Amino acid sequence: MHQALAQPPTTPGRDADSTLPSIVAILEDFLQDMETDFDGEITRQTRLLSDLGFESIDIIQLVVAIEEALGQQSVPFERLLMHDGRYVEDLSVGQLVDFVAT
Amino acid sequence: MASLETNGTRIAYQQFGEGPDLIMVHGLAANRAFWMTGLAPLLRDHFRITLYDLRGHGYSATPPSGYSAVQQADDLAALMTHLNIRRAPIVAHSFGGAVALEFAVKHPDRVSQLALLDAKINRLQPTLKLADCDQLTPFEQELIGEVTDVDWAAEEQIGIRFLETVAERRVAGIHSQITNDFVPFADRRGNGRDARHWLRLLRETTARAEFVSTDGASPEAIAELTLPVLLMYGEHSRVRPSGERLKALLPNARAVTVPRAGHFFPARAPRVVLQALAPLLGLDLATPQQRPSAVFAGWATATCS
Repeated sequence: MHQALAQPPTTPGRDADSTLPSIVAILEDFLQDMETDFDGEITRQTRLLSDLGFESIDIIQLVVAIEEALGQQSVPFERLLMHDGRYVEDLSVGQLVDFVAT
Repeated sequence: MASLETNGTRIAYQQFGEGPDLIMVHGLAANRAFWMTGLAPLLRDHFRITLYDLRGHGYSATPPSGYSAVQQADDLAALMTHLNIRRAPIVAHSFGGAVALEFAVKHPDRVSQLALLDAKINRLQPTLKLADCDQLTPFEQELIGEVTDVDWAAEEQIGIRFLETVAERRVAGIHSQITNDFVPFADRRGNGRDARHWLRLLRETTARAEFVSTDGASPEAIAELTLPVLLMYGEHSRVRPSGERLKALLPNARAVTVPRAGHFFPARAPRVVLQALAPLLGLDLATPQQRPSAVFAGWATATCS
């Protein structure tokens, strides 16, 4: 998993601490429209697939929402989704935040 | 989130990349994410890519009916009009290829090039039986071996039956042990929502019958197409007869057989597809791509589907 994030994109710098609340807000908005059993607080440790019940399409849709909300264009989301030609096993909120904030 | 209300439903889409327009259409029980396994990222430097979810799939709505390829071609037409895309190349997989073909026949002036990747065309190939392919994929072997209450040999639409059975198993918490083949609904850490949704689509709408409807374009109408066409089929794919019949109708089409591949090669070997798309789309692949032999080295040998 961490290897999938080994080469972050060279986007304008963004602070990870300030990005976390934005991403949590987007995720909470997302969960309202999803069939999910998750009923807790979203932290850096929360995993998108096993905790929030995300599927591949949700990750893609999430990245689109992040791009729109943060005004950031063309996040290379396939790097979040794929590693060595396979879907990643899981993705934590922290990893997502670091990816966007880099 | 981007979506379009049209033809009594809602179609979700997204666009990214730089360049002229290119539209990609996924197959049954998949969604936009299918293209993210490799082909869309490879094309994004060359095109502004439009991806969308077929009705009943992904983030598009699931209306009670309207799922035939002919009807879904109207969704594609509405989406292109909405996005001000008058004409574009279309790359489509499986049932998405049937949608793209119907669209091209109905609107020949709106498709510049057409790439059909393992497209099953119901009118040219009305049934899909187990015996239509001489090899079973590892995934199919597993399914047939473990699910014994289905008469697999008698099934006349085995593609949909496979997808239904694997979805049932996914919902029941049974995960495939196959790691060297593409397996639908294989996001084992997710909550299985895609699988549940596919089952609802088959059981609570008219989709099951409409997906295999033979009311598509006639062979004569298909033969009138003059645009550049790529017919790319897996060597061990069960839908190859569709490709062979299309080639007979479209003698100028370029036919490519992907060696040792089954139905899901666009996800498994996107660079092989990119190589075949390059001449069709006028792509200059300046940087050397992996040679097909290197890509295939890691493949399972029997990959029918």
